[in-house]
Amino acid sequence: MMRNELENTNIPVKILQFFLSLRTAIWLLMTLLCLLFYGAVVMPANEEFLALHTEPLFRFMAETPPGITWWLWAAIGVLSLLTANTLLCSIESVVKKKRARHWMLIISPQVAHIGFLFILLAHMVSGYGSFKGTAVVYENAVLRLPGGSDVLFRKIDVDMDPMGYMKDWTADVEYFRGGVSLGVDRIRPNSPSFRDGYGVFIKNIRFQPYLVAMVEVCREPGAVWALIGGILFMAGMMTLLFSKIKKEEAKG
Amino acid sequence: MPINPVFIAILSAALYVFGYYRLPFVYGGFLLQLAYMVSRGTELGRLPLTGPHDTLFFLSLSFMLFGIPVSFSLKNRQRFLNPVTAVTVCFMFLAMLARPHSFPLPPVLKTFWFEVHVAFSFFSYALFGLAAVLGVLYLLSGEEETEILQYKMILVGYFLFSVAMIFGGIWAYYAWGTYWLWTPKEVWTVILWLFYSFYLHARLRQWWSGRPAAVLGIAGFGVVLFTYLGVSLLMKSSHTF
Repeated sequence: MMRNELENTNIPVKILQFFLSLRTAIWLLMTLLCLLFYGAVVMPANEEFLALHTEPLFRFMAETPPGITWWLWAAIGVLSLLTANTLLCSIESVVKKKRARHWMLIISPQVAHIGFLFILLAHMVSGYGSFKGTAVVYENAVLRLPGGSDVLFRKIDVDMDPMGYMKDWTADVEYFRGGVSLGVDRIRPNSPSFRDGYGVFIKNIRFQPYLVAMVEVCREPGAVWALIGGILFMAGMMTLLFSKIKKEEAKG
Repeated sequence: MPINPVFIAILSAALYVFGYYRLPFVYGGFLLQLAYMVSRGTELGRLPLTGPHDTLFFLSLSFMLFGIPVSFSLKNRQRFLNPVTAVTVCFMFLAMLARPHSFPLPPVLKTFWFEVHVAFSFFSYALFGLAAVLGVLYLLSGEEETEILQYKMILVGYFLFSVAMIFGGIWAYYAWGTYWLWTPKEVWTVILWLFYSFYLHARLRQWWSGRPAAVLGIAGFGVVLFTYLGVSLLMKSSHTF
């Protein structure tokens, strides 16, 4: 048998060729688009999806009938294939073209690809281990965090403008464990308080019947991975843009 | 004293119409729009980026903000700026259908992350809109450089849109404890991002380059419009006006 014929009949080689193909990436992206488009249409029409706002993704998918969540399962399947495709294509591109003249143009899309994969990883991690709990608290109320610490809401202050609009608010909190104070903190808009991997957020403040704060306790284990992914993606894209501009200038 | 936005819109539109005959009128229309946005920002003490009036006007202004510099790289500036002014005027008058939102911002929106998230989103929408215009011009003329310029617009727009998404995620994490919410706006934002990812990858293949890529670039603006206006007006979301 000739070498080419052998390669054509070798199944692992065929699988590798499938994953190394740009055509595969295009088909996978197109399939993913169709699945998400379907999801975007059915989600607002099905009340079951409201649970997605409070539960980790994978628990929601395990508890909800597959007849409703099939597109999410399919999207995760497509994303898994896309991950393999992205990784292999990036490795091949760097290895094949490592001696190319415009090396930054080769490496920068791969950095963006790695950033994208980190963001996917973040969603997977959060999909397994995220937590969200809500409560309504008033001054001097105590909440038990899932980690075992207690948080005491010592003081809630609201700053109103003369027209009656809320300008700012703060909540002074103190953490305890077993009756021993662990420290104090202040929660402000866009500045939550973190303790034992959990974030304490104030989502809203109401005055009726008396001053109360809507509190959300969250854990988002994928956040760090998402941030790393975001930074890598931006760095890759920015380098790609500058490299392209430089190449254009060199041509001109 | 606040400036009447309808007066500004009519005057700008008139200048843009004269721009069909003499290009400097287009620059005049742009400067007038810019002056209105600056006056709104001064009045509010922040970037005017909340509510349909300000966001539509900001998008309208962004078309020209990018459209004018881009026109200098084209042989026939007039041929490109004519449809761009039409789109600009169209969005400016859509902005006039909504009342200006002059209330103080809720505390959670007073952050750098929010301002950059929204401003970059609209800059990217404008670049995607310009790419659609260039796509139409390419289909009509078949000039290769027009299609290349469309690709460049989409590449820069995609970068800004990605930055807007990342900054939105950072802001959402600090505001609500999560960088991702399963609301229609977020899902459609991902659809839009994936659509342009699809465009950028597909264009690398011979079969998709040229006319199919130009058509994709035009269709992308349809997805932009639904993500911005359709979702905000038709579906309940954290981004609802």
